[in-house]
Amino acid sequence: MDRILENFILALRGSGVRVSVAESIDAMHVTDLIGYGDRGILKNALSAALAKTLTEKEIFHMTFDRFFSTDVPFDHAYDIPDAMKGEPDEEIPFVAQMILSGNMAGLAVAMSQAALSVDITGIQFFTQKGLYVRRLMQQMGLDELNDYIRELRANGDDESTRIANMLEEGREDLTDRARKFVERQYDLYAGSATEGMIESYLRNARLTNIEQHHYQQIRVIIRKMVKNLRDLHTRRKKGAKRGQLDFKKTMRSNIAYQGLPFDTRWKMKKIDRPKIMVICDVSRSVSTIVRFFLLILYSLNELIEKIDTFIFCSNLVEASSIFDKYDLEEAVVRLQTGTGLDIWMGRTDYGQSLRDFWEGWSGNLTNKTTVIILGDARSNFGEPEVGILKRMQERSKRIIWLNPETPSLWGSGDSEMKRYLPFCHIARECNTLNHLERAIHALL
Amino acid sequence: MKPFHDEKFSSIEVVQREFKQAGYICSRQIATTVYLAYHLCKPILVEGPAGVGKTELAKTAAFFLGVPLIRLQCYEGLDESKALYEWKYGKQLLYTQLLRDKLDQIIKGENGLDGSIQKLHEYDDIFFSMDFLEPRPLLKAIQEKKGAVLLIDEVDKSDDEFEAFLLEVLSDFQVSIPELGTIAAVSKPFVFLTSNNTRELSEALKRRCLHLYIPFPDQKLEREIVRTKVPDISERLETQLVAFIHEVRKLDIKKLPSISESIDWARVLMILHVDKLNYDLIHDTLNTFVKFEEDVKLVKEQLRSMAEKALNVTAT
Repeated sequence: MDRILENFILALRGSGVRVSVAESIDAMHVTDLIGYGDRGILKNALSAALAKTLTEKEIFHMTFDRFFSTDVPFDHAYDIPDAMKGEPDEEIPFVAQMILSGNMAGLAVAMSQAALSVDITGIQFFTQKGLYVRRLMQQMGLDELNDYIRELRANGDDESTRIANMLEEGREDLTDRARKFVERQYDLYAGSATEGMIESYLRNARLTNIEQHHYQQIRVIIRKMVKNLRDLHTRRKKGAKRGQLDFKKTMRSNIAYQGLPFDTRWKMKKIDRPKIMVICDVSRSVSTIVRFFLLILYSLNELIEKIDTFIFCSNLVEASSIFDKYDLEEAVVRLQTGTGLDIWMGRTDYGQSLRDFWEGWSGNLTNKTTVIILGDARSNFGEPEVGILKRMQERSKRIIWLNPETPSLWGSGDSEMKRYLPFCHIARECNTLNHLERAIHALL
Repeated sequence: MKPFHDEKFSSIEVVQREFKQAGYICSRQIATTVYLAYHLCKPILVEGPAGVGKTELAKTAAFFLGVPLIRLQCYEGLDESKALYEWKYGKQLLYTQLLRDKLDQIIKGENGLDGSIQKLHEYDDIFFSMDFLEPRPLLKAIQEKKGAVLLIDEVDKSDDEFEAFLLEVLSDFQVSIPELGTIAAVSKPFVFLTSNNTRELSEALKRRCLHLYIPFPDQKLEREIVRTKVPDISERLETQLVAFIHEVRKLDIKKLPSISESIDWARVLMILHVDKLNYDLIHDTLNTFVKFEEDVKLVKEQLRSMAEKALNVTAT
């Protein structure tokens, strides 16, 4: 594949567009077909072959413009002493010749060639910038240039000093350009490494410590996570023994029995999807982590057909409608503040909330229901109503309690976790994305 | 497909011009993608809001190439037997009944079971041959001798399983029928897939396609489209109309009016013999392009200012 295209695809991957090998081969055919002649057409054509969603298209356009922009301009030339013009001197190093003769195009070419030989596409961290600038300069013949300047200085006469000054100026200028060049390359290629690192960091970081500005990235990770989980789990379909007779299928499967409908096939398919009820604490004590709970709930809601969501603080309300009505940002804010819901954001009261749940929705609990409770079980020393949780446990398939506190803190102070614990099928510490993922895996 | 229509796909400009002549105004992006898809023999996955002409693109391509358009409308529960092929069970049963005597005759000479079976084997697979096969759109498309345009409409509405099943057809242009073996395309069809993005399509499917996103057009392009579809429209009306539609698209409503709605509106106005817009007219014909009660209410609230903006476009 030609080098430019290869580097461009590298840059695209760096910016977060997933480009498979098959797609890069397509891109190659595309460039074979239309060539590099027309920028607009090339852009359209490559975007059709490489970027496959709307967001990817946006990234693609940005990267394309950056990648195929003109290089750091080598425009201004130096005052060249007449003595230096004419036949190039064998003694003078090549870079010095180019600087002195003002051969800016030559310098530009030399720099991109140097970039190829030091393989600048491997740059990953911003700390490597200095290193690459140095390598680049060395490749271009910095050492020879320095030697030559030293030699000129040693000569001592006016003309030599003047040339030496000029060369030094040229060297500074060149270093500057090299630095800019490396900056640009870093922007293009380093994205992938850093993105991967951020993702692994975010997955293991405590959710309470994650800054607001990583919020978007978390969203992406969660979506990815939920999608993977869903792909794993939605295929559990089995044929049901009722519904409409699927005549064709029955016939096909009964050819062996002379077409007698011996083994009947039905049109109904039963999809074995878990029925989930989520009860989420939105009080202040868990406010930092609740955002992520809600985030993951929202994603689950988009992907799994049926989830009933309840939120509580001093009392408990159903909140499923919020997920359907609003987009993510707004839904999370609304749920966190209880806007538009009949919820009272006073002291957290687990007892009252469980009572509310039992009175209002216990009828919906069946032996297929999984109840997830997200909360720290800190009930401000109110009556915890452990009995209700026990009854809930008897009625439902499973109760999963996800607690943002570490198990050593369970039961300390006003935490009622120890008392709830016997009635939970699974009780887990949950304060990183990896914890969440494992919990949801267990759920499905 | 490829060798038959090379001259029609000699360059991107030709594609753009010819499509225009066929009544489809396409941007350079669309023309480029169509051109590439033909030369690389790749399917095109077309995405975009409803009513920007995704399906129309495939229709125009078929018209332009002079080949049949074979359309497969996707929906939940669509399966192979509806998309690919189906055995003609009735015919098979009928024939076995009718040919019972014949079968007896064939076997007559033989005494043993082995012999009879041997004899029958000579007539192997009579009932599982092409004569008893009912080709559905996908099979039909790859059997067309001069190629065809295959439109797989709203592929996002189908199930994941069906999507996986499409992969074989789209990458190798062949289908497997267990009783007959693999049937390869006589001539590779030109495939368009459209999607409204109701769900994310799989990576594997996307990888096999060129991707084209058709957004709402800018005012200039839309004016051209309206003019092509409704040739009698006056220039002033066309400008005002498109400007107003663009104003509506800025609102946060349930269903944004698309190109097809602009065209409908233009046609309605032509029937009313209108040559320029005014507030009352917009108010009365609003329901041709805003289709939900809530949306109508919302648009009416801001109708004054929007109409003013749109009407002034021609003034300047």
